[in-house]
Amino acid sequence: MNFSYPSGSSTLYLALAVTVIFGFLIMFGMMSMPARWRRPVVVTCTFISGLIYVAYYLWPKPQSFGPRDIPLNWSEWVGSQLADTIGVAGTISTALTTFLLGLGIYSLVRIHGRKLIRMQKDWAFSLVLLISMLAIVIFGYWSYYQTKFGPDASKLQDAANWTWVNYTNDFLFDGLLQQMEGAMFSVIAFYILSAAYRAFRIRSVEATILLASALIMMLSLMGAVEFLWNSKFDHSGAFVANFQLTEIARWIRDTFQTPGIRALEFGIGLGALAMGLRLWLSLEKGGVSA
Amino acid sequence: MDTPQDPTPISAEEVQLLEVKRIEKQAHRTRMILFGLLILASSLPLFLTLNVPNKPTQATVDLYSTIMAVPDGSTILLQTDWTTSTRGESGGEFEGLMRVLMRKNCKVALYSMSDAQAPKVAMDEIVLTLNPERKLKGEREYKAWDDYISLGFFPNAEGETASMAANLRSAWNGKKYINDSGEPEDVFQSPVLSKVQSITSVPLVVIITATSSFNVLIERLSGKVPIVALVTGVMGPETNVYYSSKQIQGLATGMKGVYDLETMMEDGINSPGPNGKVGFQWENHPPVKGFPGETNYGRGKLYFPTLHIDMALLILAVIFGNVGMFMAKKRGNR
Repeated sequence: MNFSYPSGSSTLYLALAVTVIFGFLIMFGMMSMPARWRRPVVVTCTFISGLIYVAYYLWPKPQSFGPRDIPLNWSEWVGSQLADTIGVAGTISTALTTFLLGLGIYSLVRIHGRKLIRMQKDWAFSLVLLISMLAIVIFGYWSYYQTKFGPDASKLQDAANWTWVNYTNDFLFDGLLQQMEGAMFSVIAFYILSAAYRAFRIRSVEATILLASALIMMLSLMGAVEFLWNSKFDHSGAFVANFQLTEIARWIRDTFQTPGIRALEFGIGLGALAMGLRLWLSLEKGGVSA
Repeated sequence: MDTPQDPTPISAEEVQLLEVKRIEKQAHRTRMILFGLLILASSLPLFLTLNVPNKPTQATVDLYSTIMAVPDGSTILLQTDWTTSTRGESGGEFEGLMRVLMRKNCKVALYSMSDAQAPKVAMDEIVLTLNPERKLKGEREYKAWDDYISLGFFPNAEGETASMAANLRSAWNGKKYINDSGEPEDVFQSPVLSKVQSITSVPLVVIITATSSFNVLIERLSGKVPIVALVTGVMGPETNVYYSSKQIQGLATGMKGVYDLETMMEDGINSPGPNGKVGFQWENHPPVKGFPGETNYGRGKLYFPTLHIDMALLILAVIFGNVGMFMAKKRGNR
């Protein structure tokens, strides 16, 4: 089935309008539905959605099956149908997840708008937030339109020909947002240094082992130290070559760090599997299952 | 005659409070000195050009070999999950990788599964940093639509990557990008994706990330297509799990990873340079060429000395902290 229509065509706009109306109808229907009926609908949708993915992973996959190939038997037919369904399911789930972005914006505007109207404590920060959000949306789309669809779109690909709109957008995105994000992240360096001085103490055997390992790993990241250290033990094939900084660091990484993380992730994976099963089969007590 | 009154005696609680205040003041002063040192240590090396000796690691050697093994002119998928907050590491990794791919005339389809800002940050790097650099050297600029496209941000990494693995054409069906005539056109009509039929027809998937977004990518795509990862220092240990199990073919971690990549871009691996000398030797590895004399060094070389000094400062902070603790203990025992 093809849901792709030519850009700017009336069919596309009609399809969009129908989709929006249909979406609202479903939402309205769900909201006005009695709570006892709502649960079976949600449980059924969750189970069917999960079943598509479970079936796709468990069903034998047809080998070297191209888009124009005809299935040889029913097993191959099911496999090819599941592979096609996964694409559609992925698009639907992406569209659904995208609604979270809209929900986030709605929530942000609602909370800060209310704070601003009621002039609650720190209302000025809410004002800054709303103005910033509005400005970046307006200039972002305006600049996008100019550089992609405007009469001088091809000229604007070169930064030398930018208009004030492009410069403002660049200032808001690269000049402010990105730089502030960078500044926030760099503050961590100060916390790490402060913690290293105040909290990283040799109080027990475990702490001493941790400190020694961390010291070796840190030294191994310093190329100059590594170069000097390794040159003292640089005897290819000899036993002493094991005492090169890179070798010690690799030993710590491969023998302790990686297996440790792997074990942790294995545990997390088992937990996620159990949680996934509970959600899929709607055994969870919270949410719509409550 | 009135006798002078004794000063009001201070209670034990007040003495304790004063002591706490004194310690807090001292700690604050020490912290300020440390912060001042950190600012100086991080800023000063940026004004100097230092050649710090470096030997790339096995993981980055594998990364560079895998990238260089990609056939010239082919299309690679680039999952770019970083923003300016980690530009020191991720920006350097992106620039290094793109310089190599541009020299190999590879086409790039980039997308993000982790951050809505990420595709714009990556596109800006190409348009505002890498293209002017090429223009200055009289080389061909990389053009959107013809050489690279941005598929944007996919908020549902799990579902999208599973779809990509099952059927790439169906996963990106209906996605449009502005073509060179300024019209929105199907992404599979672009020279970048026109020859791509499925994930297995892509020679390489690269992920540059500052988060654990590589987990989903590796879980869904490993075994179907070669994957290499360029991650921040923080994410290094977690990603190393996949490198050691050979689920990814190469790995660059943090600032050292960037400098390793830049070193191999300059010297190659077991490859004789213009003077006939091998710049970087790696035992039992086939020769892989570098790009001597080109713009290879960037953020890696610039920030690597800073990393040294900051690491040294960190080690000193730990040492002084512990020495202080032992001295305080000794005073307490006396």
